[in-house]
Amino acid sequence: MNIVISEDDLVGPLREALLVAAVAGMSGALRVTGDPGGTIHLADGRVVGIDTPGAPGPEVLLLRSHRVSEPDWDTAFAAAAATGGPLGAELVKRGLIGSGELEVLLWTTVADAMFVLASGSVDEYRAEPGPVEFVLPLDPGAEADWLLAETARRLRVLESLPARPDRDRVVAVSGAERSGDRLAGGQSEILALADGRRTPRDLAFALGRGVYGTLLQLARMHEAGLLVTASYRAGFQFGARKTAHPAAGGKPVPADGLPRRSKDPAALARRVVPLGRTRDLPATLGLLRPRARRDADAGETP
Amino acid sequence: MSSLADSLGQVAALQGVRAAALIDIETGTVVRSVGAPRSGFPAAAASMADEARLARAALGPGEPGGDLDEIALVTDGQLHLSKILPTRPGGGLLLFVDLDRNQVNMGLASLQVRQLAPAVLA
Repeated sequence: MNIVISEDDLVGPLREALLVAAVAGMSGALRVTGDPGGTIHLADGRVVGIDTPGAPGPEVLLLRSHRVSEPDWDTAFAAAAATGGPLGAELVKRGLIGSGELEVLLWTTVADAMFVLASGSVDEYRAEPGPVEFVLPLDPGAEADWLLAETARRLRVLESLPARPDRDRVVAVSGAERSGDRLAGGQSEILALADGRRTPRDLAFALGRGVYGTLLQLARMHEAGLLVTASYRAGFQFGARKTAHPAAGGKPVPADGLPRRSKDPAALARRVVPLGRTRDLPATLGLLRPRARRDADAGETP
Repeated sequence: MSSLADSLGQVAALQGVRAAALIDIETGTVVRSVGAPRSGFPAAAASMADEARLARAALGPGEPGGDLDEIALVTDGQLHLSKILPTRPGGGLLLFVDLDRNQVNMGLASLQVRQLAPAVLA
């Protein structure tokens, strides 16, 4: 029997969650438990930011790429915290980044994090309506339709690649840096860091780049013979999320035997829009996170 | 309205423009678009990003001609202008403009897009 994976299956259970949240115009957080898991921040049903240990956020991208220096970031951060104004507006006002450029960065960061969440495993998700708590929110946020279509496109592209170094530690081939072929943009930086200890995720964090863009670059470099796999590691494989396959009778069963969420749409709607619900997490203002903690969040995979 | 949508709207207001979009060269993602893009536009955008990346490898920084600045693709009825917008982090963006060739002067259209391009990321 041929099993056809539809677009819905490609993105996985988060598709349904995002669409319901969009229809309900939900504001707050969608907490995703799994590997790597994370939190999807929503405003009026649109995704304004995603926190996940699997992909670098806008702060990491700006600082690690040296687009914004740490002292400039800290000064803007302190000024925004003091006035209660948005950090993004403060960065633009200080001439550290253009308004359009920041918007592009936030769109691509949200797409990257969603791709990483959808590539991993989702054990459970929980909606927590409330105020938006994200340091650099996209305003207006990304529409669920756009985000899901882009995630599906990325997963399809990844499936089609001949070389997929998605969870492996990679190492530069001896002499690759001095090879006669001219290296494309960003490849020499990867070669310098590909020491056999870093995964694609580690490289993305270290270089201040998106995970998906890094994976594409690594695949090209593998194909060009510039990199080899040093060792395989435990962890989820991008684009190879465990999918519930139809069993006899047409009902989906878990691929791994673990408990799954209910697919009852009515139950889902009730879970996503629990009016008057008390939040069970403290409404910690992300802006007040100390510098050291923020840096620690961007650490390498052990 | 977002800053990007506003800037792209100005590009789309040029004579003969059918659609305008910002495409991330590194990932092929259509970040924003305005106007009426053709069906299958995301796949076409990814191809354009590939094309820009390959052209840059041949004509990129360090080469005698300098970095790639613009790609023009011309058919009987269409003119596609793709202007490179450098960004960091990332491999830059394509400001892609789909024009009706029968309504525009190619040189003038290129000049107009070039004049509006810097404001897109500002």
